[in-house]
Amino acid sequence: MADLQLDDVTKVFTERDGNEITAVDDVSLTIEDGEFLVLVGPSGCGKSTTLRMVAGLESISSGQIRLGDTVVNEMKPKERDIAMVFQSYALYPHMTVRENMSFGLEESTDMPATQITETVESAAEMLGIGDLLERKPDDLSGGQQQRVALGRAIVRDPEVFLLDEPLSNLDAKLRAQMRTELQRLQEDLDVATIYVTHDQTEAMTMADKIAILNDGELQQVGTPLECYHEPANLFVASFIGEPSMNFFDARRDGTQLVTDQFRYDLADETVAALGEHDDLVLGVRPEDIELRSTGSDEHSYETTVDVVEPMGNENNVYLTFGDKHAESFVATIDGMNRVEAGQSVVAHIPEEAIHLFDRSSGRALRNRTLEPTAVAEAQF
Amino acid sequence: MDSLRNSLRRLNPLSTATADAETGTGVGVEADADERGGLVDRLRRSDFVESMPFWLPPTALVLLFVYGAIAWNVVISFTGWSGLGQPDYTNFTLEMYRQMPADQDFIASLRNTVALLIAFTSASLVVGLGLALLVDRKIRFESTFRTIYLLPMALSFVVTAIFWSWMYADPDGLINTALHGIGLEALAYDWLGDPRFRLAAVIVALIWQFSGYCMIVYLAGLRSIPDDHYEAARIDGASTLKLYWRVIIPQLRSSTVGATVVLMVFALKAFDFIYVMFGTNPGRSVDILAVTMYREAFSASEWAYGAAIAVVLFALALTIIGPYAYTQYKRGAL
Repeated sequence: MADLQLDDVTKVFTERDGNEITAVDDVSLTIEDGEFLVLVGPSGCGKSTTLRMVAGLESISSGQIRLGDTVVNEMKPKERDIAMVFQSYALYPHMTVRENMSFGLEESTDMPATQITETVESAAEMLGIGDLLERKPDDLSGGQQQRVALGRAIVRDPEVFLLDEPLSNLDAKLRAQMRTELQRLQEDLDVATIYVTHDQTEAMTMADKIAILNDGELQQVGTPLECYHEPANLFVASFIGEPSMNFFDARRDGTQLVTDQFRYDLADETVAALGEHDDLVLGVRPEDIELRSTGSDEHSYETTVDVVEPMGNENNVYLTFGDKHAESFVATIDGMNRVEAGQSVVAHIPEEAIHLFDRSSGRALRNRTLEPTAVAEAQF
Repeated sequence: MDSLRNSLRRLNPLSTATADAETGTGVGVEADADERGGLVDRLRRSDFVESMPFWLPPTALVLLFVYGAIAWNVVISFTGWSGLGQPDYTNFTLEMYRQMPADQDFIASLRNTVALLIAFTSASLVVGLGLALLVDRKIRFESTFRTIYLLPMALSFVVTAIFWSWMYADPDGLINTALHGIGLEALAYDWLGDPRFRLAAVIVALIWQFSGYCMIVYLAGLRSIPDDHYEAARIDGASTLKLYWRVIIPQLRSSTVGATVVLMVFALKAFDFIYVMFGTNPGRSVDILAVTMYREAFSASEWAYGAAIAVVLFALALTIIGPYAYTQYKRGAL
């Protein structure tokens, strides 16, 4: 068992007309043994390319990938001791489930046939597909095919597991179920895993560590909660979280932020964190905005409810500052709180919850402050 | 049939009303009218009668000229019709079929037909598959190669036959000239004159013409296999050879079956090729049933015997197409 390390890995594609496109730009990552790393980002951000470079399906333009102490750059996929689950599952349609799962062992190991049968059967048992072994992939449901694809990877007992958007072809309910199952499975197997997805919910719920990519560049690596509460930049702040963080373009005027809609007084320590920057973006998570019926204290603003989205456990309330056609921002409140469209409410934006970003670079200058007690309480 | 009816209904608002009346939604007035009008009225309104002008003429023509001709041919094979004059339809016998096992010409040509069928079909498939696998490897000038390989298929069989008879000509055909040129005179045979090589020479020429077709069929099959399968197999540790042998080629099964049926049916009626190369009497070494049939009927005026050979050919074609059509029907593809 070993760590997987990516050092300054870059992938440049050359188009037919000679144009060079950098799909992955100088990415460095460490995945420790047994760790579940989720690579997340929008379509075309280079996450799949990164995964394919680790798998050996794509050559590496520059940089190094190491598994333990071995540089695997030039190794063929079969020599790397990895297993991969494809988005489409890529099950061989002419083979039974058993044949699909045995294929890798037959081709890459000298394992005797009886042992292969044993390994395949115990993996199938573990995944709950023991009774499907003699069926063909076409006769299976999407969820069952998904399990076979997982089984095919598990039997190899690899050093690293690679999963390329494995849940995206399942319906929502099955996806949620498979998410937990995958997590449990990964814990049982205790194998370093890279999981690629564009779905931030999957990233948040499954990962030990999230790596967020955009335009081929690594934006932030951290635990899900770090990425959520302490985003390194605007992109991470907007990508992680649903509904997404509210942003207001703001200028700093002394100790005050001036946006098109409101002014916001800053405490001294916040001002200190901003340094020389005064072209800013103010960010605040929907659940941090408090709605009150009245009040005119600091950081409270008169707003009008535009749309209410009841989710059951909570309501997403879209608010505007007076003018109905102005851009709205969203606040999440408890589902039991009734709010009607058109109603006037006071929105309170607490200062400890605001994030401030430099507008030109997008870099976070000040993240929300987490009270140590709040974190401690959550740990039970 | 149902879908045809529905589309006809869509075209004709009047018949929609009829359909409603039939299913009993328009009870009142229309039901009364139905009773009064009786059979004639119902016939006039039925989809079957209404759609007749569209399907009846082509159906009648096909029945008459295809199935009618086949049936007539079978009938003639049971008469003893030969020479000038009219067939005698009063006295049917199996005499023509009884003659066959004793007829050495027939046996030879049946043997050649089967040999041609098997050798030509399997070799074309293998060559076609090989070409398809090579062309599919994202090579340069792929479409140029595709066109070059497919081009022979576009030529008339007469052209190919003449062209290959020049190639095979002894001593100054292209092949023998080349063999002489590289010092292999010992291998320069009279390809079309020597009975040992005649059938093989024909088969090679036919493979040349048809492997391009197989390539296209296989290429289409290969294109429908997702890239994921290649990648999954590589991750599973399969070598290139094993990848194709165990993962890719087994998935080309339906392409193989389709191409096989087409090639076999063609092999059965490869008449023009041999007729152009050797005329109506090519000799036992290369005679095939289609040529024997033609010779018996139109050269020897043994009409009934010719017809009986045609029936044998027809039966062979049915044994090839029958199972294919049946499995396609089972899978709902027909």
